[in-house]
Amino acid sequence: MERVCGICSNIHTLTLCQAMEGLTGQTPPPRAQYIRVIMAELERLHSHVLWAGIASKLMGFKTMFMTCFEIREKIMDVLAAISGNRVNYSMNRIGGVNRDIDDPAAILAMIEQLEGEMMKTVIPIFTTSSTARSRCAGIGVLTEEKAISCGVVGPTARASGLGQDLRRAAPYAAYAELDFEVPVEKAGDVRARLFVRALEIIESCKILRQALTKLPPGEINSGEEKFKFVTGTATSRVEAPRGEVMYSVSWKEGSRNPNRVHVRTPTFANMPAVRWMVMGARLADTPLIQASIDPCYSCTDR
Amino acid sequence: MIPDTNLINALARLLIFPGLLFAVPAAWFFLWVERKAVALMQGRVGPPFMQPFFDFIKLLGKTTPPRSGVAGLLMRAWPLIAVSAAAGAVGLLPVLPSSGGFEGDLILLLALLELPSMCIIAAGFSSRSIFGEIGSAREAVLSVAYNVVFLLAIVSVAASQHTFRLEALAQLPASPLRWLGVLAILVCLPAKLHLNPFSLPNAEQEIYSGPMVEYAGPELAMWELSHGLEWVAATGLVATLAAPHITLVWLAALIFVGLMFAIVLILSTLASATARLAIDTTVRFYWQCTLIFAVLAISSALFMRFRS
Repeated sequence: MERVCGICSNIHTLTLCQAMEGLTGQTPPPRAQYIRVIMAELERLHSHVLWAGIASKLMGFKTMFMTCFEIREKIMDVLAAISGNRVNYSMNRIGGVNRDIDDPAAILAMIEQLEGEMMKTVIPIFTTSSTARSRCAGIGVLTEEKAISCGVVGPTARASGLGQDLRRAAPYAAYAELDFEVPVEKAGDVRARLFVRALEIIESCKILRQALTKLPPGEINSGEEKFKFVTGTATSRVEAPRGEVMYSVSWKEGSRNPNRVHVRTPTFANMPAVRWMVMGARLADTPLIQASIDPCYSCTDR
Repeated sequence: MIPDTNLINALARLLIFPGLLFAVPAAWFFLWVERKAVALMQGRVGPPFMQPFFDFIKLLGKTTPPRSGVAGLLMRAWPLIAVSAAAGAVGLLPVLPSSGGFEGDLILLLALLELPSMCIIAAGFSSRSIFGEIGSAREAVLSVAYNVVFLLAIVSVAASQHTFRLEALAQLPASPLRWLGVLAILVCLPAKLHLNPFSLPNAEQEIYSGPMVEYAGPELAMWELSHGLEWVAATGLVATLAAPHITLVWLAALIFVGLMFAIVLILSTLASATARLAIDTTVRFYWQCTLIFAVLAISSALFMRFRS
């Protein structure tokens, strides 16, 4: 399941493992829950910065694209420092995680340096550059009513005034113990989506700082290698960088494989809304409007 | 019969110096400077020094699928006309002082500078590609928007010193109206050279490079060369108007090339620091510039008249 998406590979294994934990009766130890949060937030940072790069490229702002990809490389370095991998991290397992964070202080130092860089470059350029503003403000508007009727999720919904976030509404892993804001914008245009993601970058850094400081001692997994599945269907929902990911896993007791694994990805929910966003738009703006939902075709195709 | 010395002079300027001998290497050099400067500003290594030349040679060696009929003929003709016009424009520049020129050569330079843009518009429509046609339409709208400022600037520069001769303009001391003209030309250069924030006609992410989308091989090489020559001609025009008059020939030539280099760096910095504007914002910008410039030029002319 890690290979469903190259950008949010961790989220897919996390959701699958959470669903399977429901079928096996496992509860991950607290340290594993925190490590899951750290990985998920690093992945969110990585995804949002990558998106910012792509959006800049579509605006013809190639310098910003290069800056974003340079920062993304550094985030991938942090992910590699924790998991040993740059893209498919192999961190989650049923009942915990595969690798521990041995030196949280070193990771925290790397994140603080990254945060400093992002606060100096990506966030001010996106929020104050006049050419970037002229390309984003007032285009691709999705009203709150339309957002509800289309059932959009994630930053696309939050930029249209819907304050939905599963980390707050249905906390999983260690999110219930962490303090963070859910940024919401009312305008519903591309600029609002850009703002929401920029603010989420700041919030992710805040969550990471707390999680690394509060990282509890103890085991990182249950230590079991073989699991006993009960008959039934378990679902799990998490807040991926693009919005809600839902896994539904059905198992028959004694079977070696699941009967059915259903994946619903955020792009699948957000894509139909593009039809309303591009109505009356200029041709020059359509690539940017489509990109503003941060579409992931591999996720949708799963 | 002894051939007309003017004709020989003109041919020598076009074919030897500053025509092909200076213009073509300078075109590759400035293309490299632009690419390298942008790369360094973006934290990349950038292309090696000879890259624009290698690109040109490699494109020349490719074979392209033949296009029959008038459309094919036209598609082959437009880049050649563009290269000839841009090379002719460079040929008119007084790179070395007292190297020629004739009454009214500034007007010819303007016409030659405008021809490549016309060819791009025609090429986009000849290619029959939807992206090419959109790119051409954008180029046409952009051309109408910035050329008013550009022409006003040139006319005010010429009017301030009562001559349309480039050679004479290079030797006369600059007046405030001339500096205003130089500034207005500088404002038009990003649009003329299709640089950010006015790179709409060749927007890769929106219309796949617009008019160039159907071009490949030697014809694309010619477009690249014509783009490089446009760089030399446009920055050369500003350098001619802005360079101080120096009698020492080699020093004058050095200052001329140095000024061109500086203009390329300024334009590259602007291009790498901005996003691409949409067409209506661009047109509004240039019409606002036209208004501001017209007011400034008229008040400056009136001031000069009262003073004299």
